[in-house]
Amino acid sequence: MEPDVSIETSSMIRIAVLPVGEIHLHLFRKYAGMLGRHHKIELSTITDFYKADQKSPFSQQPWESGSLRFKFIVGGSPPSPWEDFQSNRKIHGVIGICHCPSSPDLGSVAEQFAMACKGYSSSVVQRCFVFSPGDTQLADRNNNKNKLVLFPPADQRTQEIHLQTMMQEIAASLLMEFEKWVLRPESGGIILKTPLDSQASLSSEEVIKAKKRRLGRAQKTTGDYCLLAGSPVDANAHYSTALELARLTGDYFWYAGAMEGGVCALLMDKAVHRDPAIEEEVKYRYNSVIVHYRKSFIQDNAQRVSPLSFELEATLKLARFLCRRELAKEVVDLLTAAADGAKSLIDASDRLILYIEIARLYGTLGYHRKAAFFSRQVAQLYLQQENSLAAISAMQVLALTTKAYRVQSRASIPKDTGSCIGDNGKMNHELVVSLFESQWSTLQMVVLKEILLSAVRAGDPLAAWSAAARLLRSYYPLITPSGQNGLATALNNSAERLPSGTHCPDPALPFVRLHSFPLHPSQMDIIKRTPGRPDWWAGSAPSGPFIYTPFTKGDQTTTTKQDLVWVVGEPVQVLVELANPCGFDLLVNSIYLSVHSGNFDSFPITVTLPPNSSKVITLSGIPTKTGPVSIPGCIVHCFGVVTEHFFKDVDNLLLGAQQGLVISDPFRCCGSGNGKVKNTNVPSITVVPSLPLLVSRTVGGDGAVILYEGEIREVWISIANAGTVAVEQAHVSLSGKNQESVISIGSEALESALPLKPGAEVTIPVTLKAWQLGLADLDGSRPMKDSSSPMLLIHYAGPTENHREPPATTGLLPPGRRLVTPLNICVLQGLSFVKARLLSMEIPAHVGQISDNSTHTDRLVKMDPYRGSWGLRFLELELSNPTDVVFEVGVSVNLENVDQNSSEFDYPKTRIDRDYTARVLIPLEHFKLPILDGSFLVTNSKSNKKAEVNASIKDLISKIKVRWVSGRNSSGELHIKDATQAALQTSVMDVLLPDPLTFSFRLVDQVDQGQGRVLAHEMTPMEVMVRNNTKDLISMSLSITCRDVAGENCIEGTNSAVLWSGALSGMKVDVPPLEEIKHAFSLYFLVPGEYTLLAAAVIDDPNEILRARARSSSPDEPIFCRGPPYHVRKKLDKTEHVVMRNYS
Amino acid sequence: MIVCIAVVGHQNNPLYIQSFTEADDALKLHHIVHCSLDVVDERVNNPKKSGPMINETFLGLLYPTENYKVYGYLTNTKVKFILVTTDLDVRDADVRNFFRRFHSAYLDAVSNPFHVPGKKITSKTFAERVSTIVKSVSFNTAG
Repeated sequence: MEPDVSIETSSMIRIAVLPVGEIHLHLFRKYAGMLGRHHKIELSTITDFYKADQKSPFSQQPWESGSLRFKFIVGGSPPSPWEDFQSNRKIHGVIGICHCPSSPDLGSVAEQFAMACKGYSSSVVQRCFVFSPGDTQLADRNNNKNKLVLFPPADQRTQEIHLQTMMQEIAASLLMEFEKWVLRPESGGIILKTPLDSQASLSSEEVIKAKKRRLGRAQKTTGDYCLLAGSPVDANAHYSTALELARLTGDYFWYAGAMEGGVCALLMDKAVHRDPAIEEEVKYRYNSVIVHYRKSFIQDNAQRVSPLSFELEATLKLARFLCRRELAKEVVDLLTAAADGAKSLIDASDRLILYIEIARLYGTLGYHRKAAFFSRQVAQLYLQQENSLAAISAMQVLALTTKAYRVQSRASIPKDTGSCIGDNGKMNHELVVSLFESQWSTLQMVVLKEILLSAVRAGDPLAAWSAAARLLRSYYPLITPSGQNGLATALNNSAERLPSGTHCPDPALPFVRLHSFPLHPSQMDIIKRTPGRPDWWAGSAPSGPFIYTPFTKGDQTTTTKQDLVWVVGEPVQVLVELANPCGFDLLVNSIYLSVHSGNFDSFPITVTLPPNSSKVITLSGIPTKTGPVSIPGCIVHCFGVVTEHFFKDVDNLLLGAQQGLVISDPFRCCGSGNGKVKNTNVPSITVVPSLPLLVSRTVGGDGAVILYEGEIREVWISIANAGTVAVEQAHVSLSGKNQESVISIGSEALESALPLKPGAEVTIPVTLKAWQLGLADLDGSRPMKDSSSPMLLIHYAGPTENHREPPATTGLLPPGRRLVTPLNICVLQGLSFVKARLLSMEIPAHVGQISDNSTHTDRLVKMDPYRGSWGLRFLELELSNPTDVVFEVGVSVNLENVDQNSSEFDYPKTRIDRDYTARVLIPLEHFKLPILDGSFLVTNSKSNKKAEVNASIKDLISKIKVRWVSGRNSSGELHIKDATQAALQTSVMDVLLPDPLTFSFRLVDQVDQGQGRVLAHEMTPMEVMVRNNTKDLISMSLSITCRDVAGENCIEGTNSAVLWSGALSGMKVDVPPLEEIKHAFSLYFLVPGEYTLLAAAVIDDPNEILRARARSSSPDEPIFCRGPPYHVRKKLDKTEHVVMRNYS
Repeated sequence: MIVCIAVVGHQNNPLYIQSFTEADDALKLHHIVHCSLDVVDERVNNPKKSGPMINETFLGLLYPTENYKVYGYLTNTKVKFILVTTDLDVRDADVRNFFRRFHSAYLDAVSNPFHVPGKKITSKTFAERVSTIVKSVSFNTAG
């Protein structure tokens, strides 16, 4: 049997193509390939070379449309025993191919060619094509004689034309030889024989039989030559005669042969294949051919030779002719019959060829599984031959079946299907199907095992490695631990025979999946710069704690995917998870990220995975050039071979495992993961040029700063540029909780240091004030420093234009960065505030002369005895000290509105020992406004009033600062706002607003007597002064009373002890706005002792302000103003004086 | 006698393959079932012949191979039943009847709430029921 047979085979002229002299294999193949293009030579083109010596026997030669067909047998073949039966089996021509530069001696070439031709006795035309001859060889004139054809060096096209011409010449020569053969008298006496005819001894009967049959056989042979000569009509005529004669002589074998030739002639003549009528005809005739071949079976020599191969060949020819999907059923029937016939074939190589052809036909038909089945049969036949060449063939054939069984090596998968996973992780149909079909594990494992076996036998360690790797990776759950060990050994053995560093497209173990991309540490955040804005960081990358905010701008198209930005020269890390589901220790010699974009240096590491284990490892690398980075997987050097493991393969596998399609999830069976498929997409990674990199450290250690509540301290933060690019812009801001605890940041220190050169360092001061601990913080024994501390954000950027970059990209600003420095503050509980109260203290003044030191302020609270402190209020703060240190508390008041240059003064410090409680009094004086005007009181809405009140309270409180000192370097401020606010809420008016009228008494100055003496039994001239604090004229009726210590009125009544002169009651006076009036009177005290003078006034026609101040509810209620009481002490002796009193 | 019965899912994934022979020919039967899918595919893709029997689930004889005959049956959900028998003279009606009983057994098996569609059928009850059906059927007596 012969491979690749078809009906047309009968019309093909076989030409052996042989290498002559020294020629490199690939050159020989190249030249033979050039030759192969001229397998059909039109008859019309060979007329130049055709010389009709005599009348052509091919009378019906179609010179216009016909052609000669060639079949080049590259490397030649031994003569077939059947070449008498089918003339097309003869080698009619020999073409030698010689490459001149490697074998320059043309004489020896000619000799070698002549030697080679001797093996082909049937050949009638011999030519040796000599390619690339030199000048000396071209000059040699002997070439024609030696059948050498020189092809001078020329371009491809010229050589093609030259070659075509030479082929036309050969075709013409062959045609003439065929004519000669046909015209040769048949009486040559040759008896055409086949191996089917008995060989040993011709009995007389058989001789007669043979003679009878000779004529028919000769006719058939002539028909064959007509076919070869491209004259189907002539051939048909001869075949018809041959059929008749063969039928008569019962020569079924030759009958079938003639019929086969006839079909070929029919097809050549009609040259239409798809004509149903012709198809029917061909089918009918071929069935007859098959039947007749079967009939010619002779039991006698069945052991030696059988026409079965011809029958099967005819079956295959018909099947190939019909091989179309529409006729699948018929073809399958034919092929099934052929396959059944295979068992009766004697020659193993015939069976091999048959199976090969059946497999090919099934493949053409689209029956890939059937084709794979028969390919496997072929491989098994090869494997039976027990030699390495056969094993190589077996391996190659098995490799063809892998596609049908879905176990193909990745090397055989076209590249473009590699990217069939969409961005959204959807798998395409092909992948789904392959996952499903991967369940034929019984068949698949057998195929892989056979590939492994054949590869080992063929001595192809790489193929063996690949098969073992596929077997182990895909079917480890179905392989016993000892079997897994065996495969591991096979892998190692194969690797030993491979050069080190060999790549294999099929990964073995371990399974590698992407675990995660660690985000930049917050110290290295990269922020996109918004060009043209001073605050370039605003609105760009998410600055909050959330990766995604719904408010990010929608203009970026890639927002659906997480983007990563890497910086040239800064190491990055990627976490991958490895799994070894097998029962042996897996040593991964090296594993590193595989980067196809070529701008990344990855660092390999070595890992050992115990049996049935998984491990998350960190792979790192350094981006080297700008541009996108793609990381499809890892390069793994394991079992002695370098393989690339793609993440998406494992993702698909896991997806399949989730759906129950794949046998096992390698990660899950290693105890990793929680059963959920973690689909980590590889984000789109861009590498940007070098950026500056700031690193920060707190001077004096990075530990938390321990502060008591309210403590104020300055910390120093040192910022250094660890990058290779200078920082040109920097901006400091705050984020996180408790931002108000940062009082000031010395950002000007940083700004003044710009540009910060690589390696330069700058120190900035930050003033902190510890915040109040909440209740939750107090509960916990350990203060949570991380969550509650504020963070210092430093947005910084390098130069706007990178000089190393090409100008095309200058439109894009290099991104800036953000340094997040958490200010680790640990707040301890400090002085705790218990409560605040507002106390009022009323001290009557003494009647005397008014001192003029009212504007002078002092550390001490001093009472001007002549003014008194009627309505003085104290804020009492009760503080406790739960800590184990001593606190000293001082109150300072900032006075701005009393005198214009804002002065601040302190009151003496109060010491609070540990575990003690102390009260601190804060006098609320000096806060009174000088003028009572309507802005406070007369407001339209109530809420407005409230707001006013609150504002004034705040203003008031902000002037009071309670500071504390503890130890040598702890100091801070007490947070009293809320408490005081509550305490002040009700009486802020009284604290802030002056009364509309101020009354005061004084003695009319007696220069010689000195100050403030009031003697009994003496007329004492006095004055009452009424000051109008409003902006309106106030008219009133003033009255003055005097009471003794018992509170009795001693001016009026029965036992009045005081005489008087001047008006004391019912005095109608008008006080102009912001003016003072005096009213003089004299008192005569009869009894020494203490008296109290009181001035009071009833205001006529009070306006709204006055009413509001007096909090009167009804409009007709009289407004009554009363001055503070003044004491007058009467002494008998004249040295009486007014005592000053201090309250502190 | 029936030597093998197989259920193949709509993506040509094997759901159930059971051989009923003593011999160690599982691989061979796997191959036969696998190869028969070519024919099923072809029948499904070229349905022009099935004009009158548009809703016919029984695919008939898929192909004869060596000593076996392979029959097919296609459910509406594109699940294939493949029957391999050594009986050479079989009436289609008997095979059809067998497939019908097998189909109902399959339906019961996949109606199990614990069965995951697309996964291999591992139910013991189904296996027992199938072997009962296989034992009860004898094509030869019909022939």
